[in-house]
Amino acid sequence: MTITALVERAAALLPEQGPLQAFVHHNTLHAFEHLPFTDAVTEAAGVFGTEPYQSEAAFHAHLRSGRITPDDLDAVVAAEVVDDGDPVVPGGPTLRRFHETRLRHHVEVPHGAALHWLLAETDAVDAVDPRWDLLRAVAPEPVAPAPHRRPRDRVLATTGVDPDHLVHPLLIRLTAAFLDQGVAYWSMPAREHGLLTAFRALYGRAGGPPDPFLRGLAACLREQRGRDAERTIRWALDELGVPEQDRADVITATLLSLRGWAGMVRQFELRPDRAPVEPRPARLTDYLAVQLTLDVFATRHVLATAEPVADVVARPELALVYEAFVLARLMEVPLTGRPQAAAWLAVVDGCDEVERRRLLHLAYERRHRVDVLDGLAAHQRVSARTGTPSFQAVFCLDEREESVRRHLEECCPTVETFGFAGFFGVAMNYRGVHDVRSRPLCPVVVTPRHAVVEQPIRPGREPRRIKARWTRTVSVGSRTLARGGVASVALGVTGLASLVGRCLFPRAAHRWSNRHGTPPATRLVMGFPVDEMVDIVATTLRTTGLSRALAPVVLIVGHGSSSLNNPHESAHDCGATGGGRGGPNARAFAAMANDPAVRSGLAERGIVIPGGTWFVGGYHNTSDDSMAYYDEDLVPAGHVEPLRAAKEALGTACALAAHERCRRFESAPPDLALVDALPHAETHAVDLGQPRPEYGHATNAVCVVGRRSRTRGLFLDRRAFLASYEPSSDTDDTLLAGLLAAVGPVCAGINLEYYFSFVDPAGYGCGTKLPHNITGLIGVMDGHASDLRTGLPWQMVEIHEPVRLLLVVEVGPERLSGIVRANPALDRLVSGGWIRLVAWDPETDAMHVFQDGTFQPHAPERTAFPVVGRSVEVYAGSRDHLGCAHVLAEVDVPVPVA
Amino acid sequence: MNGVLIGAAGVPLAAFLLLGTVSWLGPPSGERTVSAVVVLSAATSAVLLGVTAWTGRAEVALGTWFAGFPVVLVADGWSLPTGILAALLGALIGAFSRRYLHRDPGYRRFHLLLALFVAGVQVVVLAGTLDLLVVGWELTGLASALLIAFFHRRRGPVAHGLRAFVTYRVCDVGLVGAAVVAHHSGPPLAIGLLLLWGSMGKAAQFPVGGWLPRAMEGPTPSSAICYGAISVSLGPYLLLRTAPTWSQAPAMPVLIAVVGGVTALHATLVGRAQTDVKAALAFASTTQVGLVLVEIGLGWHVLALVHLLGHAALRSAQILRSPSLLHDHHHLEQALGGPVPRTGALWERLVPRPVRLWLYRFALERGYLDALVVDRVVGGFARLVRRFAAADERWVRRIAEAR
Repeated sequence: MTITALVERAAALLPEQGPLQAFVHHNTLHAFEHLPFTDAVTEAAGVFGTEPYQSEAAFHAHLRSGRITPDDLDAVVAAEVVDDGDPVVPGGPTLRRFHETRLRHHVEVPHGAALHWLLAETDAVDAVDPRWDLLRAVAPEPVAPAPHRRPRDRVLATTGVDPDHLVHPLLIRLTAAFLDQGVAYWSMPAREHGLLTAFRALYGRAGGPPDPFLRGLAACLREQRGRDAERTIRWALDELGVPEQDRADVITATLLSLRGWAGMVRQFELRPDRAPVEPRPARLTDYLAVQLTLDVFATRHVLATAEPVADVVARPELALVYEAFVLARLMEVPLTGRPQAAAWLAVVDGCDEVERRRLLHLAYERRHRVDVLDGLAAHQRVSARTGTPSFQAVFCLDEREESVRRHLEECCPTVETFGFAGFFGVAMNYRGVHDVRSRPLCPVVVTPRHAVVEQPIRPGREPRRIKARWTRTVSVGSRTLARGGVASVALGVTGLASLVGRCLFPRAAHRWSNRHGTPPATRLVMGFPVDEMVDIVATTLRTTGLSRALAPVVLIVGHGSSSLNNPHESAHDCGATGGGRGGPNARAFAAMANDPAVRSGLAERGIVIPGGTWFVGGYHNTSDDSMAYYDEDLVPAGHVEPLRAAKEALGTACALAAHERCRRFESAPPDLALVDALPHAETHAVDLGQPRPEYGHATNAVCVVGRRSRTRGLFLDRRAFLASYEPSSDTDDTLLAGLLAAVGPVCAGINLEYYFSFVDPAGYGCGTKLPHNITGLIGVMDGHASDLRTGLPWQMVEIHEPVRLLLVVEVGPERLSGIVRANPALDRLVSGGWIRLVAWDPETDAMHVFQDGTFQPHAPERTAFPVVGRSVEVYAGSRDHLGCAHVLAEVDVPVPVA
Repeated sequence: MNGVLIGAAGVPLAAFLLLGTVSWLGPPSGERTVSAVVVLSAATSAVLLGVTAWTGRAEVALGTWFAGFPVVLVADGWSLPTGILAALLGALIGAFSRRYLHRDPGYRRFHLLLALFVAGVQVVVLAGTLDLLVVGWELTGLASALLIAFFHRRRGPVAHGLRAFVTYRVCDVGLVGAAVVAHHSGPPLAIGLLLLWGSMGKAAQFPVGGWLPRAMEGPTPSSAICYGAISVSLGPYLLLRTAPTWSQAPAMPVLIAVVGGVTALHATLVGRAQTDVKAALAFASTTQVGLVLVEIGLGWHVLALVHLLGHAALRSAQILRSPSLLHDHHHLEQALGGPVPRTGALWERLVPRPVRLWLYRFALERGYLDALVVDRVVGGFARLVRRFAAADERWVRRIAEAR
């Protein structure tokens, strides 16, 4: 294989996260998606040194708290463990019984020195118990550790000095300078020719850095001038003594040693259009050539200077023997001879930590699945039909909008709400009136073909420009010598004022600094041909079921999020717009649906939009729960009053949703007054000291694709993506296939990113936000000169429940399996178990869970759920995840929450 | 008036001792309680100093610890503004950190260290004698090294905290030496040199300033108060405080100005190639502190104090805002109505390419100081020690064989 092919193969393992300004949620283990989920997490754990599931201790805490019940354990063991009914050893339990007992007990098994201490110094092991000696006698030989492939690993093992500690700081500096989008005052010279050329131009000159390990580097680089990256890589691998057959492993391990930066170089190479300011001629082979060249010098230096360390004498690993002994005692298993002891040891080994965590994880997910499905099924018996809608509102299917929709329906029972992917079918390259460059607003898998530009109605001078120039002058100038001196003397008082405001009165300070006037009135200039607009509107209206009966006012509500002190700000934006803000999409959709030409085109296709219907686009900021509406000046006179009423209802719903959301913030008192909810939420969004502007998708767990009438009034705790789907208008499954093709991967991407960032916050996520340091406007490092951290920060995911997405689709199992099979991407997710799929038959209400390749009927366990009048009665005083409940506004005497 | 001044110095120390004792003995106290103690103690200190400023200069003798070690607090034109600003920043950062570190496992540790830091700073600022100043100096050094190593489960923070700690220790030798020489009425030049040595570590001056960009490992608020503002300002403050002593030696102002000037030039050059926001701000801080030292050397002491305090406020505000850089950049682009103009264009036009390449590499490699100071000086010293140890071992073995 050529070097380029090897690099390509290794690159698949690198993080796929692009620059932070547009955060696109994706499956962290995308490279392993061809494997089933449980195999993938285990294999990835080996490659990256990460955790596959929550820790065993965490699962046992869930067992204690009742989040996992003993029934779940037994059900999972019954399904997962094959049992012939015979005891595993004479007098012992059957294999199932063994697993059931094993999973209920958390046996702490120390390793290495801790175990030797335990055995030598305590009476943890009863010396006279014959089982101990039997087990010790049959203990398998410890497996030899895998040979070191990367030369650095060998050097580290023999000398105790890590050459990466020499190479990484320099490599980080170089790569950061190469990719920098405008933090540094000086840009890297010669970077327009690529990283390797720039590196040679800079470090190939005489009089270079006096670091001892770089001795001879300048001469070497001068000699290599003009050589391409592949040849340099081959040279370096030869110098490092890497045999031909190890090349693939060494290249992979080398790139993974600083995988954040390597991944970012790769992203710049693949998607130069996603560069925040300007693209760079980035090539992963260049990066690898630089890294390996430095590796050559560092390993040479370490081997020449460091003294070899004495080999540590390997002691036999007794952890398995100890575990088997404790379990034999616990389960009162008599071990009479060596064969029995060996069999017992094998059984204990077969249920190792990863296997136990897998089973516990399945039990954890089972409890969640049963609760949600039972809640959905039970709700069908209590939910009531509504009459003619007074107005309709279409939201993004985002699970954060679940509470807004529920509250809107609670406080305005005549409303009808819908959920659709938050770009509302409008895939566009959008440029707002203040935007410097246009950006795609559509799912990442779609390439927009049309541009939409927002233009002011009356061109006028921008008053903010002078202030912006001043801000820029101060922020750049204060970092320089002379201007910085002047700024310090002259502006110290402003600094102090800003500190007082930002530290003590964050909300007031933010309002003061953003006090400029109202934005200018604008219009969208749309480059869509009429027939495409007809397609877009028709698909959305038919899929959601809106086309059945339209109310006088239809609100189309996109969403996004704005926050301070949050490098991951755009991770809270709308996933369906590719990490952008969906307001313009809603506005464009409304403009299309109001267009007479589009309406007549729709009428030709049998979708009649009555003359008395008007669409209004809106934007919901999920961080401070504010609403904005577009093009209100175009609303016909007859619709002004219904629109006002609709806006008022939505405003109330936002306040109620903010109140529900604030219960998750420990900063809010449990008895937060309703009037304080919006200010509290707003403070979170604008406070420089607030690492939790909102909890984003942290509550995601479920996705329901079906009619809203089936979930209306069901308290889903902001945990369910809700996509409206009208089965009756979908005769040949095309609408559902289109819907699932978008909804499945997008929601699974969000869900899996949260899963992995939660189960291993340091390995898959980017750790705590507190020391994050923005570098090059592209990402964050942990403090000073660390790897570029990808994934989600802990403060974003800390309340997440790591379960795989439970996708419930209102369609029969046969039709659903047909749709899934026809879509390879979806099929891979479903059959690999990356999402849990449930078919919910619209006629019979029966639910079928996809397991082991087939749909199996769901057996309800619980039929009674609390019935309340308002949502607040369910969540008041609680900070945790909550189960389903029926919120029926028309019920007079609410049944108290159980 | 004595009580007020003693209170200003003592309340933060008492707050630290209270928090320390409670967290040692009792069950963990609530986040709000811990934060309230820190914020209130710092705010009280600021208010008490404000009251003192109202009534004018004050000097309080608290008796003698041992012979030759009088404990004296001084409130004058130097210590009052510095002390008020330090206490105010301590209170503000404390209030800020209540939200910033909310739910962090190290919440109490952070606030305990912040209280220790403020207490140390107030002792340094208000100390009327060099001996008392040393006590506060050590406390601030310890607190800031531990704050750098706050995330002690990762390698980087611990290594960099250790680096700052070692730099502080080496330079503290100068300060302690100055106190000793002063007690023996040594020559002003010797005292001045030792004081300059002592102040260089904390002020991150050339060539021992390599720890400062590395100190950006802790939570953002601690970086803001320590490395943007107060901790680096203590070096110049020490020189301002002791000016009557060292100014008797005519060579000292020149030396101070030279150290400051070299630092400012070096840091401004190096800072221009930094691609992460916190390192860029760290070098910007070093530049300005170097400039303050130049002003001290030139005898413009009042300007130096105004510059120092103004810089402290401005820089800590900037560091607190640094995690919002992406947000701010986006909004700046929008407000400017176009891409943010490139910096350094003049440089590219004026400086010939070979010089530019050389200077850029110099800046990217931080002026080669790490290689020179760490590898050559420290490494050389370590190698020397190791060689002695090896020789010693050989010697012992030979004696053992001879027996």
